[in-house]
Amino acid sequence: MKPYIPEYVGTVTKYVFVDSPDTTPQDIATAAYEVAQGVMVKETCFGCQITGSPEDVERIVAHLRKLDPYRIFVKDRGFPPGDARRCRADLGGARPGYLGHEFEMKMARYISYGLEAVDKMTAEELEKAAGTPLPTEEPLDADIVEQLFMED
Amino acid sequence: MSDRPVRIAQITCGAEYSGIQNEITSAAATVGAQMFYPDVALKDVKTAYKEFGLPVKSPDLKLAIARAKAIVEGRIEADGIFIASCFRCAEAAIVRNELRRYIVENSKIPVVSYSFNERTSSSTLLTRLEALSTIAKRRELMAREVQVGITMGVDSGSSTTKCVIMKDNEIVGTGWKPTTEVLKSADDVIAEALAESGLKMSDIEAIGTTGYGRFLIGKHLNADLVQEELTVNSKGAVYLANAQKGFATVIDIGGMDNKAISVNDGIPGSFTMGGICAGASGRFLEMTSKRLGVDITELGALSMKSAGGEDVPMNSYCIVFGTQSLVNALAAGYKPEDVAAASCHSVAQQVYEQQLQEVDIKEPVIMVGGSSLIQGLVRAMGRMLKTEVVVPHHSQYIGAVGAALIASGFVEKKRAEKKEA
Amino acid sequence: MVKVFIYPATSLMLSDLVARYGHTPLGSAVSIREHIQTPGFDSPPLQMTAEDPQKGLKWAAVEVPSGIRGRMSLYGPLVEEAEAAIIIDEPELSFGCMGCARTNELLCFMLREKDIPRLELRYPASREEGVTFVAQIKKFLDDLKKEETA
Repeated sequence: MKPYIPEYVGTVTKYVFVDSPDTTPQDIATAAYEVAQGVMVKETCFGCQITGSPEDVERIVAHLRKLDPYRIFVKDRGFPPGDARRCRADLGGARPGYLGHEFEMKMARYISYGLEAVDKMTAEELEKAAGTPLPTEEPLDADIVEQLFMED
Repeated sequence: MSDRPVRIAQITCGAEYSGIQNEITSAAATVGAQMFYPDVALKDVKTAYKEFGLPVKSPDLKLAIARAKAIVEGRIEADGIFIASCFRCAEAAIVRNELRRYIVENSKIPVVSYSFNERTSSSTLLTRLEALSTIAKRRELMAREVQVGITMGVDSGSSTTKCVIMKDNEIVGTGWKPTTEVLKSADDVIAEALAESGLKMSDIEAIGTTGYGRFLIGKHLNADLVQEELTVNSKGAVYLANAQKGFATVIDIGGMDNKAISVNDGIPGSFTMGGICAGASGRFLEMTSKRLGVDITELGALSMKSAGGEDVPMNSYCIVFGTQSLVNALAAGYKPEDVAAASCHSVAQQVYEQQLQEVDIKEPVIMVGGSSLIQGLVRAMGRMLKTEVVVPHHSQYIGAVGAALIASGFVEKKRAEKKEA
Repeated sequence: MVKVFIYPATSLMLSDLVARYGHTPLGSAVSIREHIQTPGFDSPPLQMTAEDPQKGLKWAAVEVPSGIRGRMSLYGPLVEEAEAAIIIDEPELSFGCMGCARTNELLCFMLREKDIPRLELRYPASREEGVTFVAQIKKFLDDLKKEETA
């Protein structure tokens, strides 16, 4: 078996996604380049990927978040950008994770709306908003319905 | 055929997490093929999954369905399809089987289906991927229906080595020996076949090798064709059984593993190879004959003296337990012929349960390989499949015949080259 | 800062919200990164080898398919490390690391069985639900902070 010598040891990579009428993925990438200070930034169709020491990456992410706080989403990534093992060009198709991002980005606008609304809430308002149950209740089991009916 | 690599679409679930993705990729690269993931978008997954109508819970299986549909519907091109999922996963086994059936029924793309675990190595996958690659690359050669010139086929199997010499569509010489030293066994069977045919090595116009020792012998003989046994055996089987047109199913119960191949117009469409334990292979029958004190060549006749031995408790899912039930059956006073028939029934049952579920059984069902000479096994298989199983003449030489037949595709080209020189 | 296991472990939104509100998300990327950055034998793409499903035996028996055991070798250590968990029900379209329903069932069970603060909810399907979604997560994460400082 061939030995494996990893690259970018000790770094972290983060995806920065944007879904906004005001900020384009290119804006995000440009802003990241401006403060990169040698940290690796790669522009993508959804925003950019940043690879560097955890502190450097955090610094750039914090800067980017300020650009459009409710419409920028950041996620950890295991691979460095452009890695042949995960790259669409080398695999002939998207890695499975890409479709998962596609799925979640479809609800980005609801979450952006939520982020903005929640940001303006007082502690009490937050308490109240969080009180609404989100998981819709499971339909009742037929046996339980029958039991309730009998008890009636 | 250009030199572009054969593109095999990978439709799998769990390969990366079983730690065997590299084994798949490496096996493909060894046979000049390239694995690729059919590219589908999220909306394709949703639509395909809904249209296919098989409700599964695992997202990666939904993705597998979408990938298969994209290929069958012609949105993505592939030369072959490799469908695989984790061994022991029921949900994936259902999807794997239904996708294989769907691809075979709706396209001409060859497909192989496999279940793996973390111990699956590239060497295990090699023959399967080589077969996929062969069908794509050598379609023209595989379409050959008549043998021409003087050609030789050598099949170096795990138990026996066979050689066949063919001349103008006739078998003119054969050689057969248990495999000991791979090269020596090959040389011996070649000498035997040459002697029978009255020909010299220099008369042979093209050579084909197959079986486990195909690479070594192929190099030794400077063979024109070195090809895995899945495609070669199926070709040999439909040729000898005169079933080159339409559908056929080829079953080869070997000494180490079994092959079940679904053939359409002489070209394999889907196939499976393997077996959980030697208990499902010819090896168990060898052990039975040893225990019964008869030669393996006599086991068939002995088993036919019995009505079928279905009432003898025998289960060769595992060769150790199988041997135990063999000993128990004899101790319980069952007759040797019933025990012989029960062993045949048990092996047929294992092949049916483990392998034949992975291919579509279409008539004629052709049994080949040394084990097809054991009549009890053929009878048991026929009863299991409720069909009359065909055993063609020279069935024990199947790989060698297939190799000699396919290798004859090189004869005319070589004659022309010789003339030019 | 509390280590919060996110489920789906590949979730972009959960990863973002947990980090945004000051905690550490524990998801697939953490384990995958460890594999990618550790020298050993070359086994692309994930640098997972036959040893990983073997490690997975700690969380799932040998008759459990290798893909599940391999995935559990990624998640098991993270569950052990987790101090809180957010679970989104029915991640029916999260592929790859979250692509196996059986692994996902086992993972959910392990998180529910563990005695840690846990929030369970589902994806929002409207702007109103978006507000509830974010509010519940923010409140859950704020409470973790309060517990930490208490």
